Amino acid sequence: MKRCRQCTLPETYPGITFDTQGVCQFCRTYGEGESIRQRRATLRERFAQLLATERRPNGYDCLVAYSGGKDSSYLLALLAREYGARPLALTLDNGFLSPQALVNMDRVTQSLGVDHLIIKVPVEIMRQIYARSQRQPLFAAKTLQRGSAICMACIGLVKFLALRCAIERQIPFVAFGWSPGQVPLSGTLIKSQPAMIRAMQRATFEPLYAVVGEAVRPYFLEERHFRAADRFPYLVGPLAFSPYREDRIMASIESLGWKRPTDTDANSSNCLLNSLANRVHKRQFHFHPYEFEIAGLVREGILSREEGLARLTAGEDAQLIHRLEERLRPSTD
Amino acid sequence: MVSEVKHLVRRFICENFIVREEDFTDDDSMLEKQIIDSTGVLELVAFLQEQFGIPIADEDITPDNLDSVERICAFVQRKSNAIPSTAMAMASRRTL
Ligand SMILES: [Zn+2]
Repeated sequence: MKRCRQCTLPETYPGITFDTQGVCQFCRTYGEGESIRQRRATLRERFAQLLATERRPNGYDCLVAYSGGKDSSYLLALLAREYGARPLALTLDNGFLSPQALVNMDRVTQSLGVDHLIIKVPVEIMRQIYARSQRQPLFAAKTLQRGSAICMACIGLVKFLALRCAIERQIPFVAFGWSPGQVPLSGTLIKSQPAMIRAMQRATFEPLYAVVGEAVRPYFLEERHFRAADRFPYLVGPLAFSPYREDRIMASIESLGWKRPTDTDANSSNCLLNSLANRVHKRQFHFHPYEFEIAGLVREGILSREEGLARLTAGEDAQLIHRLEERLRPSTD
Repeated sequence: MVSEVKHLVRRFICENFIVREEDFTDDDSMLEKQIIDSTGVLELVAFLQEQFGIPIADEDITPDNLDSVERICAFVQRKSNAIPSTAMAMASRRTL
């Protein structure tokens, strides 16, 4: 399969074009190093300043969408230790987290002395999402270029649940573990606005409501939340403007007791379902759902091209996939 | 100049969100039509800042300003008029 010679994007990626050198359009328009470094430094400063002015002496500063994976574990440590924030970790447990991920979350939050809230999703919701994702695309084409339907469903749920929780608890920041390149730099520190969040929520809520029904409502904002405009938090992705090096991340979180799960696939450090979600996606769309993310990491110089390719072509654990399919089989016919 | 902005915006949407010209009109709500998703809004904002050299504040990121091609063009126009020198250089950045 033909792939971009600079990043790893394949010819099967929607809308891709290669120039005569075999370089994709995303690499051609990628910004220069110096200005990006400068912009990252400015964002770090601005975030530190905002954190100081918005600080809640009697509550949490920052709600962290905490998956228990490598990136969000590091994010929690970064906020608590480097920025001196008082975070609240929020986990959406989809019922398919690796047992090691649950141990890791406990160790990391205990080591950092961070409070931790876990919302566990009933398996029936995941069954319905899985069944639907096999039949037809659950989300817009663009969304499914960033990840598999199942992955994007969980990300959507946790995103709006985090917003809802921050508004209810008057927490001024919601932090996500976006890696560099996953979101444009200018979008990594933004004060959310009710009108825009309402429009964004609709795009996530409607497809999920169509599949799952009333059971998804508690994960999303209600009218009363939209009316509390002054409580809308900043959305921030500190990893995207912080020094991001795999070895430093690992050293930092391993010192907190974090261990890499051995039962997840090459692209997840917390969720078992990922391997099945990837397979469904590859069969439907003929590209790996991590193409976009890995290409971003290669472009940023965080992964070598070879490391990126290794993650994209790693084999599947057939036994694990079989067990997952069994658990996700419809409960009634 | 307005048609040049429109041309560049439409081209960006087609290339970045993988849609065809005939898939959306200038008045269509792109969030409602699911052409743009929530991360896509941030990509659109980054594009407008870079392409037209306009500053976009957090409070500018609303559907009123960004949800259709027509609205985006009006928004770019308003922002550019606020900075005369930028208005002159508008649309010339990445087309060179
Ligand atoms: Zn490339």
